[in-house]
Amino acid sequence: MKKTIAVIGAGGAMGSALSKSLAASGHHILLMDKDSEKCHKTYDSILSELPNADIEILNCIHEGSWEADVIIPAVAYEVQREIADYIKDVVTGKIVISLINPMNEDKSKLLTSPLSSAAEELQNYLPYSKVVKAFNTISPSDFKNISNADCFIAGDDEIAVATVSSLAKDSGMMPQLAGNLSASRTLEGMILILIQSCRKNNISESGCFKILIPKT
Amino acid sequence: MFDLLFENIERKIEITEEDKAFCKTLFIPKKLRKKQYLLQAGDIAEYVAFVNKGLLRSYSVDEKGEEHIIQFAPEDWWITDMNSFLTCEEAIYNIDALEDTEILLLDKPSQDKLFEHIPKFERYFRILIQASFVAMHKRLLSTITNTAEEKYMRMLKTYPDLVQRVPQHMIASFLGIKPETISRIRKKQASNS
Ligand SMILES: NC(=O)c1ccc[n+]([C@@H]2O[C@H](COP(=O)([O-])OP(=O)(O)OC[C@H]3O[C@@H](n4cnc5c(N)ncnc54)[C@H](OP(=O)(O)O)[C@@H]3O)[C@@H](O)[C@H]2O)c1
Repeated sequence: MKKTIAVIGAGGAMGSALSKSLAASGHHILLMDKDSEKCHKTYDSILSELPNADIEILNCIHEGSWEADVIIPAVAYEVQREIADYIKDVVTGKIVISLINPMNEDKSKLLTSPLSSAAEELQNYLPYSKVVKAFNTISPSDFKNISNADCFIAGDDEIAVATVSSLAKDSGMMPQLAGNLSASRTLEGMILILIQSCRKNNISESGCFKILIPKT
Repeated sequence: MFDLLFENIERKIEITEEDKAFCKTLFIPKKLRKKQYLLQAGDIAEYVAFVNKGLLRSYSVDEKGEEHIIQFAPEDWWITDMNSFLTCEEAIYNIDALEDTEILLLDKPSQDKLFEHIPKFERYFRILIQASFVAMHKRLLSTITNTAEEKYMRMLKTYPDLVQRVPQHMIASFLGIKPETISRIRKKQASNS
């Protein structure tokens, strides 16, 4: 069924790519960003490619999260807590997708403790929501460039994980179930490997993972 | 956001502050725009919805594309496709918003959790279902036995606010009579008084 999806940070690299991809699957997308100019850019760019896209810009992330079935904070790790506190009372029982990678400035290590992850911290801030880790190992440029990329999905609520898997599938990715939300510790670490490899090969940050399964 | 719901509950059972806090962890707050669907026929009704603000309706659509309204749900009312919610069969009704609406949703797992933690909520929902059962039978009887004018007058008496708030063709659809019939009855009423 068609979902209403709130993208917070829709003007950013990840937010705009994901918004476009989800709009292409026919969902109702609420675009929100602190930077309204960037948000309008995303809006125009989606409509120029997908004239029938069901998208709109909202100014208030509390209002948008209230209306939405699924909420995606596509913002830096440093602001996830602030956003969680702000929307907390309107996201009870809803799916909140964590695509945040908590990296230091030069993207060489994670800022979280090895016994936690950005996704688990978000779940602590929003104890009555269903946090699901997804999309964090996919580069924004690859949403349209690479089809069938593996999209790792981790979460504690089975139905929420299934819903996010179908969103990933609709976006042309191969959902790979990675386990409980604590698997986010591994998933968030994986981005470091991808960045390393891009740097070694002197290419801009891109690429994604693919699990190869031997033929039997 | 929860005031109206708690008032509604407290008219039927006593609840503590602790119970209220627990409820707040279970109900899903959701806004719908005018014309937006809460449920479409063919899907499974995952939720019972309490209307905090605004107005919803449930209706079915026949082969000719004509809408038949089953229920209106303004503030302080509950609505769902009960058969689908209880049995997980496909819904036969659509539910959509006639105005911008604020609702609180409860899904089956959360309802079960509520019953388990606070058993008197079973009593609350039993009272709701009893009342709806009685109302439904009155409506059924009226539909079978009353004249169009009697049906309309009964509606005016039972739901005077709704008659003001909802377009005439929807009142007609709810009563199973033609909109022209309502116009005629209204004219007659006006000339009588
Ligand atoms: N880029 C990637 O390759 C990639 C891949 C996977 C996952 N991720 C994750 O995705 C997240 C976003 O990354 P990004 O590269 O897309 O960053 P970005 O381009 O900087 O986008 C973030 C956007 O969020 C906005 N924002 C910040 N605070 C906000 C608030 N309180 N309310 C609304 N909007 C707010 C920012 O506006 P301002 O610019 O005005 O602050 C910006 O437009 C990060 O956590 C990152 O780890 C990124």
